[in-house]
Amino acid sequence: MNIFELLTKIPRQIIFLVVGFAIAIPLIVPIGMPVNVMPKSKMLFQAIDTLGPDSKPVLISCDFDPQSMPELYPMLVSILRHCFARDVKVMLMALWPQGPGLVELALDEVPRNYGKEYGRDYTFLGYKFGVAAVLLGMGENIAGVFPVDYYGTPLDSITMMKRIQTYNDLSLAISLSTGDPGWRQWLLYAQSRYNASVGVGVTAVSAADVYPYVETGQVIGLLAGMKGASEYEIMVQNGGYSDAILRAAQGMDAQSLGHLLIMIFIVLGNIGYFVMRRKK
Amino acid sequence: MSPSPDPWVWFAGFLTLCIFSFLYKDNIFYQFAEHLFVGISAGYLIAITWHNQIYPNLVVPLFFEGRILYIIPLAFGLFYFARFIPRISFLVRIPIAFLLGWGSGVFIPAIFQRDILRQTQGTLLVQEAFEKWDTGLWAVVILIGVICTLIYFFFSRERKGIIKPMANLGIIFLMLGFGASFGYTVMSRISLLIGRMQFLLGDWLGIIQ
Repeated sequence: MNIFELLTKIPRQIIFLVVGFAIAIPLIVPIGMPVNVMPKSKMLFQAIDTLGPDSKPVLISCDFDPQSMPELYPMLVSILRHCFARDVKVMLMALWPQGPGLVELALDEVPRNYGKEYGRDYTFLGYKFGVAAVLLGMGENIAGVFPVDYYGTPLDSITMMKRIQTYNDLSLAISLSTGDPGWRQWLLYAQSRYNASVGVGVTAVSAADVYPYVETGQVIGLLAGMKGASEYEIMVQNGGYSDAILRAAQGMDAQSLGHLLIMIFIVLGNIGYFVMRRKK
Repeated sequence: MSPSPDPWVWFAGFLTLCIFSFLYKDNIFYQFAEHLFVGISAGYLIAITWHNQIYPNLVVPLFFEGRILYIIPLAFGLFYFARFIPRISFLVRIPIAFLLGWGSGVFIPAIFQRDILRQTQGTLLVQEAFEKWDTGLWAVVILIGVICTLIYFFFSRERKGIIKPMANLGIIFLMLGFGASFGYTVMSRISLLIGRMQFLLGDWLGIIQ
């Protein structure tokens, strides 16, 4: 077996092992590659940065599960930090059944650092099944869809919910989404039908699908994958809103090295393939 | 930092390694973790659907507040179980017909608005797009890309004359789109691995912060 044949037949276990080291080493010994903030991430940051204590609340819909945590959870935490630092009220909900656990994790971590109080500064509506009925119903009456919050408290007895009835009473809705139901449905029902302002944070695998909607203004800003999350973390830190550890930004060195390695494997595999084909 | 003292973190670390062991080959540790996940997911879904959906949105209004109209969605829901009784299995058609009718009525106009009207508007060369040279250039590229890609999928005429180079250009735009999607997919999968590594090296072993 010559070198070119070997290139086309590298055992997959070897590839997994090499990728594993390429990811682990930069996490242990950071290189410190710079993270450039993309315009679409900046658009979402600026949409929240213009809000203040007198603004309408921001709604964050956690439409993801633990599988997508590395990409979407840092977005959730950073957006919460940004909102709380600017004294913007926040409503949270989930279209995925695994979402509530992740929201509670973030609520355990973030509000207390900013002195925020449940019911006055933020509310968690919980999870509802049936995306079309939920999002259309919220356009008519949020309390009709969520008669009680996640903890069983009637919505009309929660201080910050007294002036919130429909999407018109929100500054913007942000869907942190890993698939369906998620950002597509937010655009389909909340944006197209009720003209709600919708921002989107997605896993990188979905990012290319969202771009056309950002171009048309249907989506006011986009965070794409762990890179988008790291950009938001850096903007929040540079804005002086947080000095916490940047979880997504910490992974950017590993991301870059991982990509480099995949590219090398693709090039090597193709060289081996073409040389072997020519020999035949 | 030192390894986590929390036994649940150790259990999560163990399960992560069980799943990773599939990268070598299928084995009993992987199967254990997989079956555990499926069982817990099913139980969790039932519990959260009951507490977040059925109880506050159906049980409370119908049985505690006496709102009798809620018997209709209850009946529609129960009709789904009619499939298990052959004599009354036809009842399942009622909620399915309702859902199809309601869903189509809601979905079709909304998707027309989201994907056709607004996206067509976004393709038009409006004056604002040319306020900067780069946005104007990209607007022209988008217009050419949309037209050429649509021509590639236009099968009613033979590909010759002007249609042939335009369809070929359409293929290039399609390939660029596929390449971008594949690149983002790689990025996504690497991110998942980074997340697990951060858990193993940080939360579990305490090697990183």
